[in-house]
Amino acid sequence: MPDLIDVHHVAKLASLTLSDAEAARFEGELRKIVAFVAQLDELDTTGVPPTAHVQLDRLPVRNDEVKPGLSHDEALAQAPSVDGDGFAVPTFVESAQ
Amino acid sequence: MADSVVAIAERVRRGEVTAEQVTTEALGRIAAKDGALHAFLHVAHDAALEQARVVDAKRARGETLGPMAGVPVAVKDAICTRGIRSTAGSKILGSYVPPYDAAVIERLRAADAVVVGKTNMDEFAMGSSTENSAFGPTRNPWDTTRTPGGSSGGSAAAVAARLAPCALGSDTGGSIRQPASLTGTVGIKPTYGRVSRYGLIAFASSLDQIGPVATDVRGAARLLSVIAGHDGRDSTSLDVPAGDWETACGRNVKGLRVGVPEEYFAEGLDPEVAASARAAIAALEREGCVVRSVTLPHTRYAVATYYVLATAEASSNLARFDGVRYGLRVDPRHELRAMYGATRDAGFGAEVKRRILLGTFVLSAGYYDAYYLKAQKVRTLVRRDFEAVFRDVDVLCSPASPTPAFRLGEKVDDPLSMYLSDIYTLPASLAGVPAMSVPCTPTRSGLPVGLQIVARPLDEATMLAVAAACEAAFPCASPP
Repeated sequence: MPDLIDVHHVAKLASLTLSDAEAARFEGELRKIVAFVAQLDELDTTGVPPTAHVQLDRLPVRNDEVKPGLSHDEALAQAPSVDGDGFAVPTFVESAQ
Repeated sequence: MADSVVAIAERVRRGEVTAEQVTTEALGRIAAKDGALHAFLHVAHDAALEQARVVDAKRARGETLGPMAGVPVAVKDAICTRGIRSTAGSKILGSYVPPYDAAVIERLRAADAVVVGKTNMDEFAMGSSTENSAFGPTRNPWDTTRTPGGSSGGSAAAVAARLAPCALGSDTGGSIRQPASLTGTVGIKPTYGRVSRYGLIAFASSLDQIGPVATDVRGAARLLSVIAGHDGRDSTSLDVPAGDWETACGRNVKGLRVGVPEEYFAEGLDPEVAASARAAIAALEREGCVVRSVTLPHTRYAVATYYVLATAEASSNLARFDGVRYGLRVDPRHELRAMYGATRDAGFGAEVKRRILLGTFVLSAGYYDAYYLKAQKVRTLVRRDFEAVFRDVDVLCSPASPTPAFRLGEKVDDPLSMYLSDIYTLPASLAGVPAMSVPCTPTRSGLPVGLQIVARPLDEATMLAVAAACEAAFPCASPP
């Protein structure tokens, strides 16, 4: 179990901006929850397959066919910002680091 | 019962009352009583009356009406309704109006039901009290200083107060069963894959399931039979037909084997809740059920397993809320990454952030195997517990919640203690098996208590037969 959870790093991975007060509070709470979760280590799971989904063996597959969906106007109707016929986003420049 | 789902539908079908009259009465009750409860986030006044008139016009043309003819249905706000605001209890979707209906809403309309409004919930279904709603909590109609449970607390409170005879909720770790237990209503989490989630705003996709809340077992069975069935738009939807669950409600339970898991009657269980659940099990025994003690040895690991898996899935599902295609946008610096962060900071409440952070952490490099993969393996052990026990018994009976309704504010500052209030409902969620809560004897102070009944995958019929037998011994009451 980690001694310290780097909340700022995790928040960055999750695209969440946190105030310093929030970060301090979440760090303490997450440590408590992670310490609670560590009880799973008591169990020997050697050779136990993971469950990602409970009924994968009985799921039907459908044909890969194009079907009508939302119209262009309907898809854009709830957007905070639209430019021409697309979603508008602010400028972005990825730094090289 | 005069105000039950089945009674209303049959009266509307026979023309003894119009759908419009039923709807007008329901809207009147909501207007009169919901100020004190806050079960609803939006009342779909005009849309409901319009839908009711469509139903009445259909009858006037001589067409046969569907099984939900004119029945008012309250719908959890995580379920998309075309043209009716759907917020999932979050500021980030505060003004979102879906351009399409969820599959369950299409099915309700096809069955001639009337959607009267959208109900309050913990933000993105993350919580057990509705106190995590961005729009303020719902109050329990039995005692307005107490929570109705959650996350489908608005749906449960609306049904308990008879603002509607039935509602839709969603259950990821107990979010239908726990509020049903705390409000004295019937709530069903169907088998994983029974009901299409197309149009359900996702929380944890390997667990989420939509289900009914109703004033009685038969009404819940009818609503379930309307919403269940295969849908190609949800890749987890099973291709199995709905059962005749109303008939199952009348089935004799003599000879059915009822398992009582000893781990569910352990430390932390309120003694009055324990006594009430035991009395309900004794009543089933008098009806001819064969009761035996069983063990589900990995029960104590379910809470930890659930909070790793559900938060991991939530952190991925909620990545879609980025201020680009719909929902809130906060853009202080006119720069993309800052816009994502500011939007999500302003749009999500504390519990949602906490779970996104935990989920991101357990999936992050260096911790994935230790937490996420480990929890997936323990989930297999929890499933095997159920597989083993269902070789010997037909259903499991236990309390649905370790306590009756707790006070608003009582657990809100202690996330871990709130998580533990789902201790009896989480294992069935992890196993994907059907489970429900049905009212049994209330506490001495008059608070409702629910008996949880769990059955084999796809065996909702046996579960409902047992629930109906319990209901016959302890009929649902409505709050004073």
